[in-house]
Amino acid sequence: MADLATLGAGLAIGLAGLGAGLGLGIATKGLMEGIARQPEASGKLVGFFIIGAALAEACGIYGLLIAFMLIGK
Amino acid sequence: MGEHWAGYIGSFHVHWDTLITMWAAMLIVIIISFILTRKLEIIPNKLQTCAEGAIKFFLGNLSEVKNGEKHIPIVASLFLFILTANLMGQLPLRLIHLKQGEIASPTNDINLTAALAVMVLLYYLFQGFKEKGIHYIYHGLSITGIITTLVDLLEMITRPLSLAVRLFANILAGEILVSVILGIFAFMAPIPVMLFEIFVAFLQAFVFMMLTIAYILTSVSEEH
Repeated sequence: MADLATLGAGLAIGLAGLGAGLGLGIATKGLMEGIARQPEASGKLVGFFIIGAALAEACGIYGLLIAFMLIGK
Repeated sequence: MGEHWAGYIGSFHVHWDTLITMWAAMLIVIIISFILTRKLEIIPNKLQTCAEGAIKFFLGNLSEVKNGEKHIPIVASLFLFILTANLMGQLPLRLIHLKQGEIASPTNDINLTAALAVMVLLYYLFQGFKEKGIHYIYHGLSITGIITTLVDLLEMITRPLSLAVRLFANILAGEILVSVILGIFAFMAPIPVMLFEIFVAFLQAFVFMMLTIAYILTSVSEEH
């Protein structure tokens, strides 16, 4: 059964990384579009982007946590 | 990393390392706040200017909340405590080794972050009931009213859960990442990662504070 747990850990971190990466990419795209449209608002936009990026990244880290829990069993 | 120096008080399971580092973080925050706010004057000296800058930062973040300055105590305490706790795990405590592993920051223990999250939950529920009375949770006996109530009840579970797990997992993942890089190549290679972890420490404290403010805002503001 240890092999299945390892497989699950790999799947967890892979899928979580996929989602978090997609989310970060979309957030960066939005930031770039916003700055290109209105460069003077960039300070405010970057502040919100960093919060959003941290929230998106946290989803990936949930997957990492589950992966470590599966391996550590 | 990940393991704790566990013991028992009576029948309670206790993590001694988390307990000690948590008290150290609290002491640091209390002593720094005390030093910064001693001898307040109308023309501020250097220390008082720092303290006023910090208060201005919290006031600026709370500007959208009605009577925002009323919520400064919990918001500022949460931010300063989490920031101190995250930062002190990065370098100073890494040098102390126990037989159970190195001492890490207190926020890499789910018990501490869960306690903080439950505190936030109780605070914003209290503020909501104080502001709106029973109508905070009761929206009338219609289909939409009942569904809104059920969603509110669900949020009481998901919000503290996500707050607690986000902070805990970010700090723990940072510790594990540094250990893994140390295992690959121990000289110079972990330095950029550790600098990034310092940035993450600020970021997670800020995110925790902003989410607390957002929850307080949704519970005290009028519905549209």
